[in-house]
Amino acid sequence: MNNAPAVEVTGLVKNYGKVEALRGIDLSVGTGEMFALLGPNGAGKTTLFSILCTLRTPTAGTARVLGRDVVVEREATRRDIGIVFQEPAIERTLTVRDNLRLMGQLYGLDSAGVNRRTEELLKELNLTEAADRSAQKLSGGQRRRVELARALVTDPKVLFLDEATLGLDVEARRGFWKQVRELTKTGRTIVFATHYMEEAEVADRIAMMSEGKIVALDTPRNLKSRLGGGVIRLHTADDAKAREWLVARGYQPAPEVQTIMLEQKDPAAIVPILLREMPVAVERVEIHAPSLEDVFVKITGRGLADETPKAAATRAPWGGRP
Amino acid sequence: MKGIRAIIALDMKRFFQEPMRLIPGLMQPLLYLFVLGSGLGSSMGKMPAGNDYRGFIFPGVITMSLLFTSTFAGISIVFDRQIGFFKAVLVAPVSRSAIAFGKVVAGALQALLQGMILLFVLPLVNLHPDLENVALLIPAMILASLTFSAMGVALASRFTSTNVFPIVINTVVLPMFFMSGAMYPLQPAPGWMQKLAHLDPVAYAVDLIRGALLGREHMFFSPWLAITVLSAVVVVLTWSAVRVFSRGEEVDLTGASKFPWRR
Repeated sequence: MNNAPAVEVTGLVKNYGKVEALRGIDLSVGTGEMFALLGPNGAGKTTLFSILCTLRTPTAGTARVLGRDVVVEREATRRDIGIVFQEPAIERTLTVRDNLRLMGQLYGLDSAGVNRRTEELLKELNLTEAADRSAQKLSGGQRRRVELARALVTDPKVLFLDEATLGLDVEARRGFWKQVRELTKTGRTIVFATHYMEEAEVADRIAMMSEGKIVALDTPRNLKSRLGGGVIRLHTADDAKAREWLVARGYQPAPEVQTIMLEQKDPAAIVPILLREMPVAVERVEIHAPSLEDVFVKITGRGLADETPKAAATRAPWGGRP
Repeated sequence: MKGIRAIIALDMKRFFQEPMRLIPGLMQPLLYLFVLGSGLGSSMGKMPAGNDYRGFIFPGVITMSLLFTSTFAGISIVFDRQIGFFKAVLVAPVSRSAIAFGKVVAGALQALLQGMILLFVLPLVNLHPDLENVALLIPAMILASLTFSAMGVALASRFTSTNVFPIVINTVVLPMFFMSGAMYPLQPAPGWMQKLAHLDPVAYAVDLIRGALLGREHMFFSPWLAITVLSAVVVVLTWSAVRVFSRGEEVDLTGASKFPWRR
């Protein structure tokens, strides 16, 4: 049992009626690992989490947390995990301290234990000053830290974070991840879902998800090394025409909607040629080292910002992109 | 057991955080009592056993306050499940029966508190209950609150959309209140109304509270029947909510990514 992976998922399938949210997921997360699920909205990350944290049952396949089947041993699993949801799960009208104390009571800590753990967490997460303010009066960053504290009340061995930094500015996000990084030092396993590639970068390993499947699973470095050299992005006056021309010339632009992306061994040498010879006006050129997003685009033909066609179909045509 | 305590503590803390919530809960019963009661009462003469109309409907008005406060407290789970601490409760190692039972008790407590405040109005409607009346009244109110709260929790466990609030109130709770004999005596009512009242838990609650306050001779049902029916409703509905909570599956607990996100 001690050698069991922190999270082990085999052949996991989840259907909601006709919608296939998860289409056969296999993954294994080691103890003490920081593991990211990276993918656009609708990829199935939240569904996977809700199965792992015992709120849903899979249609097929098994999921184990610390060696225990999450369906068969729900109660024991619940004791071992902490989760930060996408949506707020703290009581707005109550103070930070009351929120944490209630959580401790819920997990059956005695009153001395509740007090001790609450004060520990307030200190650890830098919330002492805000402790007696009601949650609705906190800044976004503080509020997410309270969510984190809430998930940590029982000192869980496995922590799930589902888009935990949603709606935070860059500064607050950086602070949040620094805090999370600290948590792995004590051997805690962290599995988090995100669609921000720079967040996934801090993970030991990343599983890229798209449309209910894992399309790539590796360390950030190995994932990026799948693209040799560099990436050129072009914004032109007529992308369709430019794309046509590139293909005719033997280039292989990635099938992305918004910009034209070219993966090249020596991008700096190619750009002048393109600028000189292309029959359309080039408005903007970017050259950069391959990012996780480039890898994702290369594998799925879709950007992280793009929604799956399914998710997009349910929304207004202009609603997808900010 | 600790789980139950935490769930009750959460709701009571929230309740006391916003004492203003008491005002609408008290306004409605007082309007019924003093505006409707005085208006109708003046053209109605004496009610059975010589009470004036306001005195007669007082138990009904208390029941109304208990009914709306506790069902609403129960139904608020629907909202809590989407946002708020209750989401965290569902992933905690607390038995689902503790969650359902805790919610039922918490809703009942909030309702009782409001109901107790209404008792201060008693002298204004010329009711002067003795100690025996009060000793019967309190347990009757407790049982009624538990019944209504269980109704709310059982309903809430079956809905995932907060849009159903007004629908549930208008199509379930309001008709139950009107059929209950809260505002009129059931004894002289038409046969079909009496039959319907037999199916209406609110009618038993009104009757029990009326019997406790005004005397047993004012009751439509037998007190033991009322107590049995109400207790059965509490048990059955709480149990049905437990079943839904432990299934956990069909209910949209976390939902797929509902929030629009941006880079």
